[in-house]
Amino acid sequence: MFLGTLIYSLVNAVTLALVALGFNLTFGISGIANFAYGALYVLAGFGSWILLNKLGLPLFVSLPLMVLVTSAIGWLLYRIILIRLRGMTISEVIATFGVGLAIVEFFRYLGFVEFKYTLPVFVEGSLFIGGVYLDLQRAIIVALGGVLTGSLWIFTRHTKIGLAFRGIAQDERTALCFGIDSDHVAALSMAFGAGLCALAAVVILPLGTISVDAGYDVLLKALAVCIVGGLGSSIGVIVASFIVGVAQTFSAMYLGSHWMMIVTLVAILAVLVTRPSGLFGKQKQLEERI
Amino acid sequence: MKRSIRVWLATVFALCLGSLAPQPLLAAGETGPIILGVPTSLGFTSGKECLNSVVLATEEINSKGGVNVGGTQRKFQVESIDIRDAAPGVPVPEALLGLEKIILDKKAKAILVGPFRSEALLAGMDIIAKHKVPMLGTIAMTPASEDKIKQDPDKYKYIFRVGINVKYFVGYQLGIMKQLKESFGFNKVFIMHQDVLWARGGAKAFGDALQNQGWTLLGTEAYPTGASDFSPGLLKAQAGAAQVILPIFDMPEAGILVKQWQSMKVPALMAGIIVPLAGSEAWKAFEGKIAGVLNMVFEIGSVPVPKVPQSVHYFEAYKKRWGVEVQEQHGPAPAYDSVYVLAKAIETAGTLDPDRLTDALKKTDYKGAIGTIKFDPQTNQAIFGNDPTQTAVGCMIQWREGGKRVVIYPDAIAEDKIVLPSWMKAAK
Repeated sequence: MFLGTLIYSLVNAVTLALVALGFNLTFGISGIANFAYGALYVLAGFGSWILLNKLGLPLFVSLPLMVLVTSAIGWLLYRIILIRLRGMTISEVIATFGVGLAIVEFFRYLGFVEFKYTLPVFVEGSLFIGGVYLDLQRAIIVALGGVLTGSLWIFTRHTKIGLAFRGIAQDERTALCFGIDSDHVAALSMAFGAGLCALAAVVILPLGTISVDAGYDVLLKALAVCIVGGLGSSIGVIVASFIVGVAQTFSAMYLGSHWMMIVTLVAILAVLVTRPSGLFGKQKQLEERI
Repeated sequence: MKRSIRVWLATVFALCLGSLAPQPLLAAGETGPIILGVPTSLGFTSGKECLNSVVLATEEINSKGGVNVGGTQRKFQVESIDIRDAAPGVPVPEALLGLEKIILDKKAKAILVGPFRSEALLAGMDIIAKHKVPMLGTIAMTPASEDKIKQDPDKYKYIFRVGINVKYFVGYQLGIMKQLKESFGFNKVFIMHQDVLWARGGAKAFGDALQNQGWTLLGTEAYPTGASDFSPGLLKAQAGAAQVILPIFDMPEAGILVKQWQSMKVPALMAGIIVPLAGSEAWKAFEGKIAGVLNMVFEIGSVPVPKVPQSVHYFEAYKKRWGVEVQEQHGPAPAYDSVYVLAKAIETAGTLDPDRLTDALKKTDYKGAIGTIKFDPQTNQAIFGNDPTQTAVGCMIQWREGGKRVVIYPDAIAEDKIVLPSWMKAAK
């Protein structure tokens, strides 16, 4: 039972990391808290279902296509709405939350509330590890988490766009002096964030059914992990995902499943009280308050 | 005085006189349609299909001329409102604003379907009692509403439930568990349930009753709505060598439970309530991996039962009207029947007066899609049992290869016996 708990806690941790990476990337680069994040997750899920079942596209065409479409929507969200509100944090939150609500409730209005909306797994079958079966889809999630983290690290250090991202994240005004267009970078960060969100959706949603309310759940999970890890810190997101993910699974196993949510909330509270900017966050004004 | 001012004063005076004029003996509304209010969570499949079922029944009744109200034929008109009480994070008081709105703004003469969540129903009972509007609920299942009615029968007499309650579905589940024990020698069970009022009550009732029946209860796990990993519970069930896993879920994420059960190859039969597995489309949605699963259908009609022709009529009529088969196993069929029950009560009472209408409802004896509908005189709960000629009936279905849902319990309507999946062996 311990090995099984360890394996599934690892899966849970990587799932949380995948869910939170996009949100964290967007905030870290452009300072925009994208509260439409959960809605984009659901949009990617339903969009993939429509491409698969209504248009009859193959699985490995539908999913990448939906990731690209969601990225484009993220880019448009910045270019049409957020560019006008740049710098006004509360307005950005309200605007993105409003867009997110509109997307989720639009799907609910269209009748996407039944249980038939599922995505097929990539590969059928299970791995047998030390007496525990782990389905291949979950194994793919773990592998993808590792590959994505590595790819993001390489991207932000060895590509022009990645370096521009880091420049804007470190000091926007100085980056502007170097000719980096902050609006262009912010739009790209929204696109990348949305794309990562969609990627998380298309690999995680085959585990169950696609539900409109998953949008709210995903946003909460992403926020929880980012708050614990520190908004804007990729390392913080990874570490926080593991802390929360492992704690959730072990507490569910050894204390009771109803402790899963409590663990998350306790983690958030503990971090906010001791380190308000998160474990690896860098918002000094929050630290100074305590 | 200027002419314009005189004209203005005369107009105002005329309007005042008009407002004081005696009302006609029959106000326009009394010959107009009878408003049926459907305040529920329309953004959820059960709520949506309940509304569709009410509309279907209303259209059928209206096509035959409507309802005779003391000598006047009047038609039904359905007004709905999405109170979102089933959506996570929606406070109950906010949801109940919709209930009050449909009574006050839309002038509903009766409420059908009602709140989705039991918490909202319990809180909404006072609103119903305050406005004296008969309600025929079909979704919220808590017996606590019946306790309230028993404690103050005069205040809460307007509240009826046509759908099943927790007590009855526990009875059906226990009947199946008894069959599993007697037929296959199973005696170890693990309960996994959603952390909401009706499921908590059901889990406790199951746990106590199954232990009395000689089952070993290996554990009970509660999962919050929205939970996405059921591995702890499944690992515990596997470690304890559970032969039966008894799930109690109505949330979409329960689909993850089923898929995880499959992928983790937990050698226990899934027998309980997983709402995503009830409808005919579940076979395709879960890629045919649910063969062998036993799932409860709370009211027949959601599954057509050949031995109850009205259930087949409803199932076929719904498909013809809406182009899809009913998918929800709880709510739509009693919602359909509740319109006919109400119509019959109105014709018996000869009036829409809530007190007389309520008295007529109490005497209901109607053969509908869910069986024979009669209300318990103390609790206004439709009586469920195993014989559709005497009571309303729920059933247990088993998924078979090829995507067929076979009714296996109760015996009065069963099409076949339980068949163990090929990967399971009987314990005797």
